[in-house]
Amino acid sequence: MKRTFIALILGLVCGVAAHLAWFGVRHPAPVYDLESQLAWMKSDFHLNSAQLARIRALHEQSRPRMVALAREVARMRREFSAIEETRQKAGEVDFVKVSRFVVQQRVLDHECLDSARQLVAATAEILTPKQRDQYLAMLTPAIQAAVGGSLN
Amino acid sequence: MPPPNDPRDPLDFLFERWRDAAPEPSDNLESAVWRRIAANENPTGLRRGWFATVEAIFARPSFTAAFVVGCVLLGLLLAETRVSQMQAKRSVQFVQSYLRQIDPQLDGVEGSASAESVSIQP
Repeated sequence: MKRTFIALILGLVCGVAAHLAWFGVRHPAPVYDLESQLAWMKSDFHLNSAQLARIRALHEQSRPRMVALAREVARMRREFSAIEETRQKAGEVDFVKVSRFVVQQRVLDHECLDSARQLVAATAEILTPKQRDQYLAMLTPAIQAAVGGSLN
Repeated sequence: MPPPNDPRDPLDFLFERWRDAAPEPSDNLESAVWRRIAANENPTGLRRGWFATVEAIFARPSFTAAFVVGCVLLGLLLAETRVSQMQAKRSVQFVQSYLRQIDPQLDGVEGSASAESVSIQP
């Protein structure tokens, strides 16, 4: 009886230990910022050090422009909120303001999309054909969905 | 059927016929009956038999070793399954966060982020 009990406990302990050890070693880290994204790309696309360095430099170089665009997007959203608030409170619509806003929004949409496309294309240039296929296969559906969403 | 002028009870006739046709009871009938009575009165006997079987199996070192190895393999399999599931989630998470990183306009793709939560910081 004691021997059976020991064997059962030993099996359970070994199984749990193997599970935890394997999961601890292999579990993917969360992806939330550029560093973790690069780490994810490195492990998933099997990037070498040179590729990683070039992709890192590319993304860091594009950062100031991205920040400027992000600020512009935030400003446009605030402006839209103000227009909407005025419409709801006063019941009036300043059509000149709205049309100017729509034009600006369209220009900003194109700028953002162009910027993203350029960055994706430049990154893809650094990758090998196999890595590029994987990278684009991962991003293309999401970009297409986003473009479709922004056009609607 | 009994003859019409037979004074005996009709049941006696039937019993006589049954005695002629019925087989002789086996020698161990009594012991078999007592065994079944004992089994009904003590249902843990069966369980004890099951435990004894398990114990006999685990008494073999080769089976114990195989059992432990099986547990380890099962643990690894379950861990790998979890890793695969997490990998798929991380893949989606990577695409979402990467798109937010490269295009502030796309932060609403999943309808969760606002312009202020764009991860690009000056």
